[in-house]
Amino acid sequence: MPRHWFWWTLTAACVVWYSTITVYVAIKGAADIKNMLARLSATKAREDAEENTDAV
Amino acid sequence: MTNFNWLLDGSIVGLYLLATMVAGLMVRKYVGKVEHFLVAGREMDVYLGIASLAATEFGIVTCMYTAQNGYEKGFAGATPGILMAAAMLVVGLTGFVIKPLRDSGVMTIPELFEKKFGPRIRWAAGVVIVLGGLLNMGVFLRTGGQFLVLVAGLDVRYLEIMMTALLLGVAVYTILGGMLSVLVTDFLQFVVMSVGLILVTILILMNVGWENMVNTVEARYGAGGFNPFINPTMGWQYVVFNLMLNTAAVLTWQTIIARVLAAKDTNTGRKVYTRTSFFFVCRFLIPGIWGIAALASLGPVTNTLEAMPHYLSTAVPAGLMGILVAAMLAADMSTDSSYMLTWCSVIYNDILAPFRKRPWSERKGLFWNRTIIALIGIFLLLYGLWYPLKGDLWTYLGVTGTIYLASISMLLIACCYWNRANSWGAAASIFISAVIPITYLVMEQLPSTAETARTIGPYYSGIATYLLSGAAMVVGSLLKPQSGVGSRKELA
Repeated sequence: MPRHWFWWTLTAACVVWYSTITVYVAIKGAADIKNMLARLSATKAREDAEENTDAV
Repeated sequence: MTNFNWLLDGSIVGLYLLATMVAGLMVRKYVGKVEHFLVAGREMDVYLGIASLAATEFGIVTCMYTAQNGYEKGFAGATPGILMAAAMLVVGLTGFVIKPLRDSGVMTIPELFEKKFGPRIRWAAGVVIVLGGLLNMGVFLRTGGQFLVLVAGLDVRYLEIMMTALLLGVAVYTILGGMLSVLVTDFLQFVVMSVGLILVTILILMNVGWENMVNTVEARYGAGGFNPFINPTMGWQYVVFNLMLNTAAVLTWQTIIARVLAAKDTNTGRKVYTRTSFFFVCRFLIPGIWGIAALASLGPVTNTLEAMPHYLSTAVPAGLMGILVAAMLAADMSTDSSYMLTWCSVIYNDILAPFRKRPWSERKGLFWNRTIIALIGIFLLLYGLWYPLKGDLWTYLGVTGTIYLASISMLLIACCYWNRANSWGAAASIFISAVIPITYLVMEQLPSTAETARTIGPYYSGIATYLLSGAAMVVGSLLKPQSGVGSRKELA
């Protein structure tokens, strides 16, 4: 074990965790954006339809 | 001399900027209401939340002060990151404060205060949040420009132009797309920023070497370079102040809380906290390693804030330099956009609330939100140009942040968990929390009182602010006649 094992372990954990989470979040986050925009579009379409019904 | 190659690295940076602007502008068509603009229609999911929170809370300014901490304090300089990660994990796991806050359905923290303490406290809380936040953010631009100028080897005379160009780019997509643009660009910026941070860290660890860095810290700072309690520039008061500061930031820092409020439900908000917590260790330790590498390679320098960018300008090869600059631009743009938007949300939602006797139309609301962001941008440019930064950057940020962190965290905890809390206690807490740090900052700037300010130090004054602000909440609340409590409205 290198000297100052606490800081060595923490530094290694940072590099490994950060590399892993970047790949994972890059994949899952892209799906989140797609779903978020789809939900917003659906809400907007529903509200527009309701407005048109009210106007009639 | 710098390794920045304008053709190769410049193209990488240009490509990144183009992609960000296109992504930021594309989502503006989804903004139809103020709720979309300020909290993305509360449709944010966990992983987008993690990317956005991480990108927002890591700017060039973060990289600069954490590297400065590494340079000046060794590995012990990463202590605030460890404390913040611990606070975030505990809050995420328990839902302490953030659960009742998100459950209440408010858009900002002061909006919640109105339910418990009345409209005046909501307004006062909004003012201190914006005051502390903008003073804090005031140094972001200059520091960001400083980094870019040094790393790319530009003439220092171009610093102001760099600052203005940086802000203009961010302002355009934030004004048009609000939180939706911020979330989408944050995601892209998180990926670019993370790739750059990881690659440069691996390069540094390989080139400078772990043993070399440990030996440098040992030779320069002794055991204090590894243990904050025995470091002469830190000590227990530094650790206690940072524990209070970081816990309060996790509970009330508007840009962090904005992710909880934009989350699609309370559990999503808590998961974002829990799963992002370890990032806050990386946020301090990774640039801290860069700072230590600068110390090992450059030796003593006069301006410790500039040591890391000076070192990187020659240590990072062409090609990777483009990725580094794009990563840092990504980090800065995501921070600036989120900060402008969140302070705007408080100004619109809380400070302007008394002027909206009748509800404004969505169109008028969006117009005012966009105008406020533009005005914040102008303020940042002016403030960033003239404020002379003294002392270390992290401490400046801690002191200005405390202006609101101390009182707002006390108000929020009392609001959620103490039935006896009332407007007297809230007003007293806000007053104490604003007066102590502002007095300290003024004393630090005046030649006649600068020595006294130095003797007291930022950590003792910071600890006193948190303790007295809490005491003021308790005493003020107990002093108010009980009849006032009867009219208190229960939280949702």
